[in-house]
Amino acid sequence: MRHEISFTVNGERYDITVQSHHTLLQVLREQLVLTGTKNGCSEGECGACTVLMDGEPVNSCLVLGVEADGHEIITVEGLATDGHLAPIQRTMVELGGTQCGFCTPGILIAAHALLQRNPNPSEQEIREGLVGNLCRCTGYMRIIAAVREAARLQQADTLN
Amino acid sequence: MTIKKTTIVGQSFQRVESNAKVTGAAQYVDDLQFGPNLLHGRLKRSPLPHALIKRIDVSKAKALPGVRVVVTGQDYPGLTGLYLSDRPIFAVDRVRFVGEPVAGVAAETPELAEKACDLIEVEYEELPGVFDPEYGASPEAPLIHPNLGEYACAPFIFRRPGTNISNWFKVRKGNMEQGWAEADYIYEHTYRVPQVQHVPLETHATVAQVDGNGKITLWSSSQSPFAQRNLIAKSLGISHSKLRVITPYVGGGFGSKAGVSMEGACVAMALKAKGRPVKLVMSRAEEFYTTFVRQGLVAKIKMGMTKDGRITAMQNTYYWDAGAYTEYGVNITRAAGYSSTGPYYVPNVHADSLCVYTNHPIGGAMRGFGMPEIHWAIEQHIDRMAEHLGLDPVQVRLLNCLKDGQETVTGMPMHPTGLSQCIQKAAEAIGWGKPSQPSGPHKRRGKGIAAMWKAPAMPPNPGSAATIRFNEDGTCLVNIGGVDMGQGTLTIAAQLAAEGLGIPIEDVRVNTVDTDYSPYEWQTVASRITWSMGNAILAAAEEAKMQIIQMVAEVWGENPQDLDIIDGNVVSFATEESIPLKNIVVYGMQKPDGTWVGGPVVGKGRFMPTYVTPLDPETGQGPRAVVHFTTGAQAAEVEVDEETGEVRVIKLVSAYDVGKAINPDMVKTQMEGGAVQGMSTALLEQIILKNGQPLNPTFTDYRIATAVDAPLEMEDIIVEVPQDDGPFGARGIGEHAMVPTAPAIANAVRAAVGVEIDSMPITSEKVWRALREKRGANGNR
Amino acid sequence: MQPFDYVKPKTLEEASALLLQHNGQARPFAGCTDLLIRIERGFLHPDVVVDIKALPGMREVAVQPDGHLRIGAAATMNQVALHPAVLERWPLLAEGCASVASYQLRNRATVGGNLCNASPAADSAPALLCYEAVAHIFGPAGQRSVPLEQFFLGPGKTVLERGELLTAITVPPPAPGAVGHFLKLGRTAVGDISVVSVAVLGWPDLGAPSGTSWHIALGAVAPTPIRAAEAERLLGQDASPAGVEAASRAAAAAARPIDDIRASAAYRTDMVRVLTRRGVERVLAEMRAS
Ligand SMILES: Cc1cc2nc3c(=O)[nH]c(=O)nc-3n(C[C@H](O)[C@H](O)[C@H](O)COP(=O)(O)OP(=O)(O)OC[C@H]3O[C@@H](n4cnc5c(N)ncnc54)[C@H](O)[C@@H]3O)c2cc1C
Repeated sequence: MRHEISFTVNGERYDITVQSHHTLLQVLREQLVLTGTKNGCSEGECGACTVLMDGEPVNSCLVLGVEADGHEIITVEGLATDGHLAPIQRTMVELGGTQCGFCTPGILIAAHALLQRNPNPSEQEIREGLVGNLCRCTGYMRIIAAVREAARLQQADTLN
Repeated sequence: MTIKKTTIVGQSFQRVESNAKVTGAAQYVDDLQFGPNLLHGRLKRSPLPHALIKRIDVSKAKALPGVRVVVTGQDYPGLTGLYLSDRPIFAVDRVRFVGEPVAGVAAETPELAEKACDLIEVEYEELPGVFDPEYGASPEAPLIHPNLGEYACAPFIFRRPGTNISNWFKVRKGNMEQGWAEADYIYEHTYRVPQVQHVPLETHATVAQVDGNGKITLWSSSQSPFAQRNLIAKSLGISHSKLRVITPYVGGGFGSKAGVSMEGACVAMALKAKGRPVKLVMSRAEEFYTTFVRQGLVAKIKMGMTKDGRITAMQNTYYWDAGAYTEYGVNITRAAGYSSTGPYYVPNVHADSLCVYTNHPIGGAMRGFGMPEIHWAIEQHIDRMAEHLGLDPVQVRLLNCLKDGQETVTGMPMHPTGLSQCIQKAAEAIGWGKPSQPSGPHKRRGKGIAAMWKAPAMPPNPGSAATIRFNEDGTCLVNIGGVDMGQGTLTIAAQLAAEGLGIPIEDVRVNTVDTDYSPYEWQTVASRITWSMGNAILAAAEEAKMQIIQMVAEVWGENPQDLDIIDGNVVSFATEESIPLKNIVVYGMQKPDGTWVGGPVVGKGRFMPTYVTPLDPETGQGPRAVVHFTTGAQAAEVEVDEETGEVRVIKLVSAYDVGKAINPDMVKTQMEGGAVQGMSTALLEQIILKNGQPLNPTFTDYRIATAVDAPLEMEDIIVEVPQDDGPFGARGIGEHAMVPTAPAIANAVRAAVGVEIDSMPITSEKVWRALREKRGANGNR
Repeated sequence: MQPFDYVKPKTLEEASALLLQHNGQARPFAGCTDLLIRIERGFLHPDVVVDIKALPGMREVAVQPDGHLRIGAAATMNQVALHPAVLERWPLLAEGCASVASYQLRNRATVGGNLCNASPAADSAPALLCYEAVAHIFGPAGQRSVPLEQFFLGPGKTVLERGELLTAITVPPPAPGAVGHFLKLGRTAVGDISVVSVAVLGWPDLGAPSGTSWHIALGAVAPTPIRAAEAERLLGQDASPAGVEAASRAAAAAARPIDDIRASAAYRTDMVRVLTRRGVERVLAEMRAS
């Protein structure tokens, strides 16, 4: 019922033992004490647990911890580089895309992944890219604006 | 308080805590670490809506290795409640709703605790249930609380022992016969609102621990750390000083985390856990139906109108589907009573607002506190009457809406209000009267408007306190008892403190709540925090500032009146001298003679409204029912698919009179978030109950609006007619933002395709059905 | 969630043997977006989950030399929905897969899991029925293949027997000039479980009286995803507006929906009519345009 796994999280390698029925979300939060990733429903609906697995967003509540063996995980704690916030983190602050903040880590990961695969998304693409992330505070408008603005910043960055 | 030119108030600062929130650093209860000693709690719940408990056998659960604590109602038979003590921590001899806790288990792992719950045997004798409030209020209905008359109760709650009515608020005003006689058109109709849930993204989460000294600490995701301390201490019969409630960041509340719901159970388990911390976190399913939900409503509205649109009389009956316990809900009934006409001048009123026990989930506070529900009825009713009379809904609202000095339904003169402005501006922004083009075949567009009012619903005298302490470097710590659950309390507190002190906002740090160290705050509810806590902070800032100025004036030999603090420096207008706050705010200052003056600066402030009066129990009349009303209006443009019934909200406009926007951008984020929550309840949300069984306690089948469903466009309009006793004139906006949304959308749907939807939510299927009936009636197809 | 063990076999034989060993208490496990929720809600109590993602060919999406598309059973919805060959030649399938839940869920949810879960609302099924896909099964008795139309037996029930695994789905190339669309009605605009779904595939066919032939499949309106044969036949006869209307009614007549908390049977039935008509009209317009 226990499995040895090795995987990297936010660039750090971990060799740990996990229980077979524990989700990746539990392993991150409880064993690695990376509590930025949140549990909002345990059923893949709310998106608060979204993390990157090998660069692609997944609902960590529906991934078993043991499945992370050999994979690379990025959580909200790993979005900033050398203390510099990623563009989407900056624009979420600047444009007021966060209120209670509980959905925010998942939104950031989903939006970050969206901008990786589609650097210049349309408004509808942004909305659909966030459909798996529920937010009850903001009404989404400022989150959508933050993604739009982050896309602009990223493009400006790559031009420079 | 003099209103001088402000530099920080009125500016749209970013949230002070947002960096913590975008980096994952912000900690919520479930993020706090308690080490391997932590026990995991689970609750055994009733599968039946109404039954007597004949026997509970916990022996098998207790025998399971790894199980440390098993508690039942026998261990804690006391009752608790905010306004009416009708609620046990665990059911004692009777269960009254599906999901009611009957026992609690704390074990080494969550899996063990879950298994132990399965091993608890409960024998029930099922009783007939009450699943409709109108039936519940009738004499035939089985009694859910036979002991209603014996419960402790607030003096302004009027219960009817021997019935299921736990509060009956009455308004008898004017002369109804005259009112009906003056009317050219009288229309009567019934509207319904189902129970819905708040859906904070963070479910209720608690950890409780009892140390060797008997000191209890409760970490709680709460809007009400002080109320929780009060109610739990009283129900356990312990001193308030022995219970400490700590509330870190809160992942949304919307009223669900007001008062006490599951927290008592966590403390009850911790009391038997021999010093070990016990964690209890609600699953999403538990969150949907076992903590608090919004009350359901059956509203019967009868209104008289003259042919030019003047409202002559209203006879409204509100049956609240208040659920199994109404300890909090009784006051929603009251709020609905004293606001029962909506924001209109109505000379003749007969209103009854009845809080009815049902075997449904427990109704509690939710954003709007009764107002979204009654406005759903009133605001649709007005549109239907306007149409019948061939009048413009905007003009009818402008004609009837309360103006300064007019009497409200309870006989209180209306304070200065920007309601008319809000209605006008909302109508203008939606392009009232201008048709707009649908996006394709089978689609029709329509526009609708709704107005609203809401007062902070609370006891007459809820208090706020604040303290300000300085650090050596001139920065300061503001301590408050108000909770930031996303609405921005920390930022508002920082802005008000910085403005009041005359220091940059970067130099202010605001603490989250710890009842052992934070000053008192009644609860973060009722949209009262900016107003009430704001006043306390300004008072604290004033006191701290005076300590500093008097010290400097003494050392400089100047008149304190010539000194001020500007941008973190004490400056003299007389001598143009200036000194930074650094050091002097802690160490004091040395006088020319070598002696010292001053000391660590500590400002304290408090606020409590003192002027609210009781209302007559038979007429609901009295000089001052409430502290004030925030008013506003929303307008919606929708597109309806005539074949599928789907409703797409194209644009939502919000206009509210907030008195003074301390942080305009944050006011707008409240308007947007509230409007989308309102839209979501309008179109999608309902706890589907069948004989008391919730059928959809998951996001799979309790859908809430996503980013794709949010309106294509939103516009937020701030109106500022100052509140005489608000900080810089401010009033609240948190709840109001979702009050008129649903009826505005309903009115827009009606304008688009001519169908009337009496019951929320306006699902595609309901619109489709109504369209079919309409076509049938017209004989087409 | 009650504990279970996890194994990740490397061969089909090993996987099949594991499924047999545990007396029915072993469950194949792909993206676990259905399975884990059922375990968490207490509907299933497996002793062990058998991760099939490492089995040979399970995660591959490729066009075979015979021109058929082969989808490994554990290929994800995103793999299929974003695959260039699928987008080009089987776009109806791409639309169906892309309509499932959210992008992050589609990174885990698999086509095989969607089919084996056998929900009447499975969104990959209507498109695959239109394309006349074939399910390939491995089990104790070896390999067998079943047309997808015969794969589903009822809600949650398939032809899979104990010890059997779905290994792949193959999809023949559609007729030249085929145009397809997947229309899904949910309660929220995007990402909901289908209340009703309709897949429509039409292609030019000089042998048919209307000059076109059709496959139409319906989701969430019967115990399994189904084909609407009478509607297909009628459109082959007559694809004029009147014919389209008649076919849409025939599709609605083929539906045998139930009342549930998501919608009533009456609404679902009428929505089959509306979505079928809209789908056919769209396909016709695009066929005309090309
Ligand atoms: C939030 C959310 C939203 C969803 N939205 C949609 C939606 O819009 N449309 C939709 O169609 N579905 C939806 N689903 C359901 C689900 O995601 C899909 O059915 C998905 O495709 C299942 O694939 P999986 O790999 O996750 O299956 P799993 O959960 O791994 O397996 C599902 C079932 O099939 C069995 N199984 C899996 N693979 C095999 C195999 N190769 N051979 C034999 N048996 C096998 C498993 O034992 C299990 O019983 C949603 C689910 C969630 C959680």
